[in-house]
Amino acid sequence: MITREEVLHIAKIAKLYVKDEEMDQLIQDMSKIIDYADAIKAVSRDSDVDFDNINNIANAFNEDLVIPSYRRDEILMNREGGENGYFLVRKSQRG
Amino acid sequence: MSKIKDLQRLLETKEISCVELTEKYLDNIERLNKTINAYVRVTAEEALETARKVDERIAAGEKLMPLEGIPMSLKDNISTKGIETTCCSRMLQGYYPIYDATVWETLKKQNAILLGKTNMDEFAMGSSCETSIYGVTLNPNNTDHVAGGSSGGAAASVAGNMAVFGIGSDTGGSIRQPASFCGLVGLKPTYGTVSRYGLIAYASSLDQIGPITGSVEDAAIIYDCLSSYDPKDSTSVGSKTTTHDKLKDSIKGMKIGIIDEFFDGINRDVKSSLEEAIKVYEDAGAQILHFKMPGLNAVLPVYFIIACAEASSNLGRYDGIRYGHKTDTYKDIDEMIRKTRNEGFGKEVQRRILLGTYALSSGQYDAYYKKAQNLRYSIIRDFKKIFESCDIILTPSVPVTAYKKGEALIDPIEIYMMDICTIPANIAGLPAVSVPCGFDKNKLPVGMQLIGNNFEDYKVLNAAYQFEKLTKGSYLSPEVEI
Amino acid sequence: MNYELVAGLETHVELSTKTKIFCQCTTEFGGDPNTHCCPICLGMPGTLPKLNKKVVEYAVKAGLATNCKIRNVSKMDRKNYTYPDLPKAYQISQFDQPICYDGYIKLSSGKNIRINRIHIEEDAGKLIHERGDTYIDYNRGGVPLVEIVTEPDFRSVDEVLEYLEKLRLIMKYIGVSDVKMQEGSLRCDVNISVRKKGEDRLGTRTEIKNMNSLNFIAKAMEYEFERHVDILESGGVIEQETRRYDSDLNITESMRDKEDVDDYRYFRDPDLVNIIVTEEEISKLRGELPQLPDEKMDIFINEYGLPREDAELLIKYKKIAEYFEEASRDIKNKKLVSNYILSQVFRRMPTDSGKEECAVSLPPKYFGDLISLLENKKINSSMASQALEKMLDTGKPVSEFISQKDMEGIDEGTLREICQRAVAENKEAVESYLGGKEKAFGAIIGYIMKVTKGKADPQKAGDIVKEIIKSS
Repeated sequence: MITREEVLHIAKIAKLYVKDEEMDQLIQDMSKIIDYADAIKAVSRDSDVDFDNINNIANAFNEDLVIPSYRRDEILMNREGGENGYFLVRKSQRG
Repeated sequence: MSKIKDLQRLLETKEISCVELTEKYLDNIERLNKTINAYVRVTAEEALETARKVDERIAAGEKLMPLEGIPMSLKDNISTKGIETTCCSRMLQGYYPIYDATVWETLKKQNAILLGKTNMDEFAMGSSCETSIYGVTLNPNNTDHVAGGSSGGAAASVAGNMAVFGIGSDTGGSIRQPASFCGLVGLKPTYGTVSRYGLIAYASSLDQIGPITGSVEDAAIIYDCLSSYDPKDSTSVGSKTTTHDKLKDSIKGMKIGIIDEFFDGINRDVKSSLEEAIKVYEDAGAQILHFKMPGLNAVLPVYFIIACAEASSNLGRYDGIRYGHKTDTYKDIDEMIRKTRNEGFGKEVQRRILLGTYALSSGQYDAYYKKAQNLRYSIIRDFKKIFESCDIILTPSVPVTAYKKGEALIDPIEIYMMDICTIPANIAGLPAVSVPCGFDKNKLPVGMQLIGNNFEDYKVLNAAYQFEKLTKGSYLSPEVEI
Repeated sequence: MNYELVAGLETHVELSTKTKIFCQCTTEFGGDPNTHCCPICLGMPGTLPKLNKKVVEYAVKAGLATNCKIRNVSKMDRKNYTYPDLPKAYQISQFDQPICYDGYIKLSSGKNIRINRIHIEEDAGKLIHERGDTYIDYNRGGVPLVEIVTEPDFRSVDEVLEYLEKLRLIMKYIGVSDVKMQEGSLRCDVNISVRKKGEDRLGTRTEIKNMNSLNFIAKAMEYEFERHVDILESGGVIEQETRRYDSDLNITESMRDKEDVDDYRYFRDPDLVNIIVTEEEISKLRGELPQLPDEKMDIFINEYGLPREDAELLIKYKKIAEYFEEASRDIKNKKLVSNYILSQVFRRMPTDSGKEECAVSLPPKYFGDLISLLENKKINSSMASQALEKMLDTGKPVSEFISQKDMEGIDEGTLREICQRAVAENKEAVESYLGGKEKAFGAIIGYIMKVTKGKADPQKAGDIVKEIIKSS
């Protein structure tokens, strides 16, 4: 059973909130799934080989050649042009 | 049997103009989409503009490119420059990509007609589209039932004659399951053959883009167009051969593997349709071989751990600072980010992020994520062994037929277990296609899955094509106009 | 003081590739905010990274130049944490398979500072705080870095400063970075702990950040050392934490408000593939390395006979060292060349950056030709100095300023006459000299040089004058 403290800690790292009223159900659901995932603990593994790309490819490289960057208005387009060319996060906002 | 080719013939002989064709589909959308809810966004203007361009080219005597002039749909997790792309999540409502996904770029260059973006489970996490902020997508074969997920909208657009083909994505079955539920062909290509650049990521080592069509030939045509090496995607390899020219290869002597574990606990109607399908292959001269894969039951937890872990990392970027949803009120940056994410992500997405974060957290990493990735090798090896003795593996696509609306969200584990047939191909990166092979007693379609060895997409499509031919396409969704 | 300082360094070096690490945006410095960006370095949904080949080459070179082993197969990992300057909420870095490991830099004392690892990673954007609001510029996001981590081998501030100077010089020599602390292309964090002298165990360490000059590093370390000692002496316990150096107040302060202990959840980045560097490629890259500073020092001091301080001055600027080598190629007395460089050439480059640039329009071969004449006594030092000034001004060879005739110098007979005249016309100076004033002799020679327009050999003239004075 995953504990309430563990869930709160995970939520903090993942930058999410868990409302008090949702906590019990969440603990139940997560525990169920984690218990299910525990099935793999029983399976033995043959080697400690680190899984890399499924097709075993390597060395996918770019050449060191400049390609023109995107225009600033495009970069800031989803934030209405930003603020003086910057992305702005106000200290706080009162809605 | 190819709707794409048939339509192009009509266009070339000018029996119908591209604009007329496009308008026909837009009319269907107008009529049906409010019920079916396949599309979350219709791009009528752009569609007609492209159609006009195609008509000009036809008038100038230009030869049509393989997908030119064909009305189609894109799942809403595929980046389309200047066209809102939301992953059906509040988090990306109002998000306009500033670049095109490689597959969309390719389709655009071919003047394919984009009718709109289709519904999906939020961030592709689900099997019924019930987690979409735009509501569920219904099955055109029977609107009491869902179209499936997460590419439910893509499948419904084709089954409802609101598109000739749909492009979806598949991480654990998201193309094949809706194709199966809707009586269509759905292909998940070999991992690395279709570029992921521009596909808004769920689980990077599992995601693949693929077509949902009314026929195998159409799937092959689309796959051949979309499977070139993409330098923008480090994991891209591209396909090693074309598939369309091999569809008609004889399957006499083809060795078809049946893995017993895949048939455990499947619905009775599904089982009998599959048994009939196997017989069709046998009668055509294929050899049926039986195998066991005892490691199969580890596949689900392995999938779940990897998918959730990668997703938790991929979705970390949604913090309201550069794009997407941002909360209205906050007292400091930390609160801003947490509230934004809480408001932006639905319950299922949040749950998977929490599980994934847990699986990667220090203290848990070795037991879960590391172990799961390591077990992938065993699963891949098990498949390789089986492919030493057979050409393709035949399984049900889904143990059931389309869920009734609302039925899907009952027990989380049970829902995830419905993906048992489709997940292995994602874990092992193998090509897999779902082909309609029957109906249940409620006339809901049943799907058969064919899995091939790495880079043998052509074999899988060949076997599927021949099945379609031998059964005279009689299992295609009856809703689809030929 | 019976406490010993123990320190280790984590140095970030910005690589001077033309493009960023995972996209092809320019790494050019400056530029208006958010004008050197693309969907990839902004981490926009659906984008994928692709590794810049040059970054791998530069990282391997950095490892080879610091005696590291090079890992043939390495990978990239995700380091997950949330901060506004990190667009993907993870930094792509290398966790447990860094591309270089187990190297060292030797200090002048002969002690080796061991390098635990060198790994590749991407830089974040820049945050500007104004009245509590945060403005973000992602131009620097995605710029390639290598992180060089030492073992806790330092025992003094001087060792740290020497190591950093050496590291900077090496990186400049191999051409992988500008390593300018003021511009941020070299950043250093110090891990410091103290223990009673003679103890084996390491004390609790603290990490100090935000020192952007060698001077501040020294000050910060001194402050932190004292702080540790004070706490221990008063019976307290050092908290393991990250602290920020404040250069205005010359103190370090706890950064605990930033993010408490992060769980980075490292895992292999599934969007990238393995990096394989073969032995052949390593050899090739090793072959491309120039001669390193230590090697040059050795040759300058032991082969060329330069005094240590001179050699150090020449080595400090790679282009100067190379200019010197070219110019002195056919010269036996290398010190002669070095003297003129350290005086006349250096005078024209008063700043460090001037010397770095070494903007000398005079081809080194011409410089060498001039010194050759001097070495073979075809001209004297006065003529050499004058000619050199003109040559440095114009870039023209010595033949433009010193003709064959000039080099004939003055024959013995004429010189003798001039010397006699000099003695005759400078009676006061002769008296002074005989009275013990050595300086007066110089005045006589000065007269001779003036009259001969510098052509006389001052040495020879001096001998003759002495003869004349003696015999009179």
